[in-house]
Amino acid sequence: MLAELGNILIAGIKFGAIYALAALGLVVIHKATKTVNFAHGAFAMLGAFGSFLIVVHWQGPYWLAYLLVPILIGIIAALIEFLILRPLRRADMFTVVIATVFLGIALGEAFRLIYNTELLAVPGMFVGAPFVVSRVFVTKETLWVIAGALVTALACVMLFHHGKIGRGMRAMASNVRGAQLCGYSVDRVYMFAWFLGGALAGLTGVFVAPITGVSVELSIAVITAGFVAGVIGGFDSLRGAILGGLLLGVVESLAAAYVSSAMKNCVSFILLFFVLMWRPEGLFPERVARRV
Amino acid sequence: MRHPSFHHLMTFTFSALVGFGFVMNSPLARAQEPGISATEITVGAIGALTGPLAFIGTPGRDGLTLAFNEINERGGVCGRKIRLQYEHASSPAESIAAVKKLVEQDKIFVLILASGSTGAAAAADYVREVGVPTYNLYGSTPIIRKPFSKNVYHGAIVPVEVASLGLISMFYDGGNAPKKFGVLAGTYAFPQATLKAVEEALKVKNINYIVEQFDQTARDYTSQLVSFSRQQVDAVLFLGSFSEAGFAIKQSRELGMSQIRWVLDGSAVSRAIIPIIGDANGIRGYFNTPAFPGQTEAVREFESRLKTLLGSMPQGRPNNYDIIGYGSAYVVALAAKSTGCQLTRAKLLDAWSNLKNAGPTQLGGLDITFPESFTPADHQGNYRLGAAIVKNGVWEVYRVLEKP
Amino acid sequence: MSDKRFGFAGLGPTVFILICLVAGLALDSYPKYVLAITIISMVIGVALVVLVGLGRCITLASGSVMAIGAYAATLSMVHLGVPYAAALLLAILAGAAAGWLIALPGTRFRGHNLAMVTLVFQSVCIILIREAKWLTGGAEGIRVPPPSIMGWRIASDSDFLIVIGVLSALIVLLMTILVRGPFGKNLQAAAGNEVAAETFGVSVPGYLTAAFVVSSAAIAFAGALAAPRIRILDPDSFGVLPSISMLAYPIVGGMYSVWGGLLGGGGLRVLPEFLRPVADYQELFFAGLVIVVVMFFPGGLVELLRRGSALVFVRDAKRGSAPIPAAAASPIAAAAEADASQVLLRVEGVDKHFDALHAVNSANLMVPVAGIHGLIGPNGAGKTSLFNIISGFLEADQGRIEFGGTSLLNLRARDRIRLGITRTFQHVAVFGQLSCLDNVIIGRGRNAVFHSMQQSFEYFIDGPGAVAARREALVALQAVGLVDQAHSLAAALSLGDQRRLEIARAIISEPKLILLDEPVSGVSESEVEGLRQLLLRINAERNIAMLVVEHNIPFVAKLCRTMSVMGAGRIVAEGRPAEVIAMPAVRQLYFGEESAA
Repeated sequence: MLAELGNILIAGIKFGAIYALAALGLVVIHKATKTVNFAHGAFAMLGAFGSFLIVVHWQGPYWLAYLLVPILIGIIAALIEFLILRPLRRADMFTVVIATVFLGIALGEAFRLIYNTELLAVPGMFVGAPFVVSRVFVTKETLWVIAGALVTALACVMLFHHGKIGRGMRAMASNVRGAQLCGYSVDRVYMFAWFLGGALAGLTGVFVAPITGVSVELSIAVITAGFVAGVIGGFDSLRGAILGGLLLGVVESLAAAYVSSAMKNCVSFILLFFVLMWRPEGLFPERVARRV
Repeated sequence: MRHPSFHHLMTFTFSALVGFGFVMNSPLARAQEPGISATEITVGAIGALTGPLAFIGTPGRDGLTLAFNEINERGGVCGRKIRLQYEHASSPAESIAAVKKLVEQDKIFVLILASGSTGAAAAADYVREVGVPTYNLYGSTPIIRKPFSKNVYHGAIVPVEVASLGLISMFYDGGNAPKKFGVLAGTYAFPQATLKAVEEALKVKNINYIVEQFDQTARDYTSQLVSFSRQQVDAVLFLGSFSEAGFAIKQSRELGMSQIRWVLDGSAVSRAIIPIIGDANGIRGYFNTPAFPGQTEAVREFESRLKTLLGSMPQGRPNNYDIIGYGSAYVVALAAKSTGCQLTRAKLLDAWSNLKNAGPTQLGGLDITFPESFTPADHQGNYRLGAAIVKNGVWEVYRVLEKP
Repeated sequence: MSDKRFGFAGLGPTVFILICLVAGLALDSYPKYVLAITIISMVIGVALVVLVGLGRCITLASGSVMAIGAYAATLSMVHLGVPYAAALLLAILAGAAAGWLIALPGTRFRGHNLAMVTLVFQSVCIILIREAKWLTGGAEGIRVPPPSIMGWRIASDSDFLIVIGVLSALIVLLMTILVRGPFGKNLQAAAGNEVAAETFGVSVPGYLTAAFVVSSAAIAFAGALAAPRIRILDPDSFGVLPSISMLAYPIVGGMYSVWGGLLGGGGLRVLPEFLRPVADYQELFFAGLVIVVVMFFPGGLVELLRRGSALVFVRDAKRGSAPIPAAAASPIAAAAEADASQVLLRVEGVDKHFDALHAVNSANLMVPVAGIHGLIGPNGAGKTSLFNIISGFLEADQGRIEFGGTSLLNLRARDRIRLGITRTFQHVAVFGQLSCLDNVIIGRGRNAVFHSMQQSFEYFIDGPGAVAARREALVALQAVGLVDQAHSLAAALSLGDQRRLEIARAIISEPKLILLDEPVSGVSESEVEGLRQLLLRINAERNIAMLVVEHNIPFVAKLCRTMSVMGAGRIVAEGRPAEVIAMPAVRQLYFGEESAA
């Protein structure tokens, strides 16, 4: 019984780590630019596709995918910021949400036009028998995903809180006018935020490709999970996004195992609903910032 | 605020938009049988070319196109070339629109339904009324087959009541005797239809089983697998797509459940499962044709021809829809030919209802599908399934499941 | 717009659908079918204009709402043997209930959170339909029985076209009435500026809830109309992707008018029929189209056509300056000389804390009937907090506020207008998407949801109530010198004119007191004096008392008869402007701080 619980928890943490990474990208962009990027899932799908191209199509080494794909997707995201979001900067949230929703659809369909198939499979980075500890099974791939995603996420938090560019983004987040006066360029900070968000989405894609394969449906799965995790965490809190992702993954797994497997998708929605209604600031909000 | 001229302009613009193209196609010469000219037979088809079901419709179009091209190169049928008019349609609403267009505007001779179950069902409902000869390639749900209609034929996909018995029998192959059955079924249309039939069959046979479900494109099956493991299931029937099955099997291995016999009943049946799982040996599944891609010379030849047609072969192709599309095109051609070239719809229905062992080989095509036979009372052309297994990393059909 | 055309122009969309219907009867079966489902999409487009365009609510639940209508009608026919006409009514009820359900959480959120909340509703709905196999047939779908209305079996394409066309025309007529009337204007106001809307009695949650209910009822009705036409219902046909496509209808067509919904819904539904040769690219094309429209043509097709028609047809030169009836043009007769000693507004011992900050510290204030009282003080002195407490946007911790003997505590901001208190805003809060005339009409108050719905019918036929409202509004606009701009969009005015518009909106209800929140902030130097004159004239002619918060001290000094000065949450001085400014305490407060700064 305990082994069973262990297996369920490990699966939950594995998916949770990926949700965390997805949420983190969303939160980074939102924190700096006050924009929710509904095309985030599509970025992750492009990342997974990039990993397919490098690892399967060109038979390249896996580390190359981990290196190149985030940079590429980051550049694509920054370009999109420049081409679509920048002209819309004066528009209200409504317009921006609609633009990114349809941007996501457009990217998905563009992918489908290139590769019209149900699914592209990408092999795992590691193969081999799982480690077994008293009937709890852990594969190398699972370890890699959990450790890799969490380390990246933490590195990102460090960058945001201690790096120079991170200071710029935080300044921009709390007061655009003030940040400009302090010499931060809005254009540069916004672009970098999108680059970083895009890179995180790309990385999410590379991590997730062997677990889910590459398909248009991946983008909806990533955006929904990422968004829910972000809301649980408080949407403006990087640490919250990570904790929210892990919590969502674990709760989903537990509910599917002990309530009903048909409940799995409902769980994230119920969580989202309750958090929005009763704790809109999230379960793990950032400690209230010192007043400027 | 509104300007009178603006209001008129609006009305005018839209009326023009609606009128354009609709008025233009007033009936020309109707004396000829629809879809038949001195040089051409027009065959219409619908299927999804974009959206989530495009993985069914696109191979359908490609398989049909390949076969009709071959037939035309050999001189066509009854001295006429076959022209394929393929329209995109996914939902029931789109399917009816597309079929109406094909039947009424393009005046097709025969209609092929290459769409998923619900779209095909809505279209079939409509063609029952207008009487155009219709060939359902991929729809498996009972809602398409009932009520029986003299102008609707069904091809390679076997009715679920028949398929479910064949699937269950595969668990006993090689002297295996499962102790406890698990059924892992998707919550979407086609697996649900099969699930119903499978449950009935299992009940009749007094077999003990449990059911777990998953949503379409699910990637995490841990909870379902844990439940199977708790109940000591040693045989799992998977109803869904082959790629979903791939991820479920991969996870079952990661959970140490290596003693399970898997039998897959899926859409988009292709080799693609192997790159997902890695070592897939011993996994069983059905195939709608006698040989898996790569298994025989004929299938390999098919694959290379398809690759020539498409330019490159995407991963996951050819799948069962490519091959069925190819074989079905030949069945349509044979039906036309066996009217004695009296190309009217009435004659075609007569001839089709008496077709025996129709398949590509009779017109010089590749031997890659089960030949189909029809009777006036039974419009299901094929009852056979290939029972397949992965051996040495490749799928092969190891026996043919006959109609029980 | 000349007054005579008002009623006729509103019939346009309905007439258009009827023309489509009649013209369609001459067509073949395929175009008839396409036309029928195109008309259904038009209804959905119009319904989404109400919610997405006027209400600015992003919804990803349209697919599920359509499913609710389609299934409600079909299931009641299949399982209960209900006749089709009754099933259609049930669908409307089910849709309205669904809209109300979405609005419960939905009115609390905007933007991305609202998108996600509606997505939750959408997904849960589809899961429920799929799981309730015994009722709905589950994922495999259910066959819709052929409908009949009072013995008439609807079977042929023409039958369907007639039923769908006529009923759609009806529902579009209803929605046109709502959109063009006070309901639509108030909804736009609620979505455009919540604070200003609440001030004039427009309940923002109330209107947004109504928008969800009205549009969901219409979408559900469209679903029920479509059901027998599409023959097979299955949950996946009403999934997220169709919802997203429907969201594109009002955006592409134009979000602010019924025509936009018609063009967007109809156009996007009929276009794929013409794009068949390039069907593979269809979805990509539509997604790209929406992005292009959002970026470059925010008004959608309607705006594009309007601009096009403006180029082609020369406009009547002096359209719009409708003459004001002579009798009403004269200002309202000055009331008897007010007794200046009589107290209109009394504030006593009001306290407000924000955490550790004591923002307002037992403040007292008094505005006499028809008086003009100023409230000044340096930044952070607490005047805005006090002002917001008086206007109802903040709650006081303790103290008393009385207006003509009635306590204002525990009274919502939107209820103050009934007592005769209106206000203007520091950051101008006009309803930019509405004309000046409509802005001012909202200022009349009486904006409860059901009342405005009833009024919409009266406006549609241009009844006496509508004529009177327009006349009053024109008088108010004339009083502030904006009558020539009556039909311009408020957003197009200069800042000074927007301030004037706010004043017109604040005086039309003939209030006893106007709260003026920094009335000249940001206004050019040349316009300041004009505004001062205007305020003095309004005060003199209409006996309206004013409470003015302002930073521009010379302006306040010249405008007000009495004033109070705040510092650190307390009222530190009170009296006539010249006396107050001379007080050492005040000079210390201002100049002491200024020299330190």
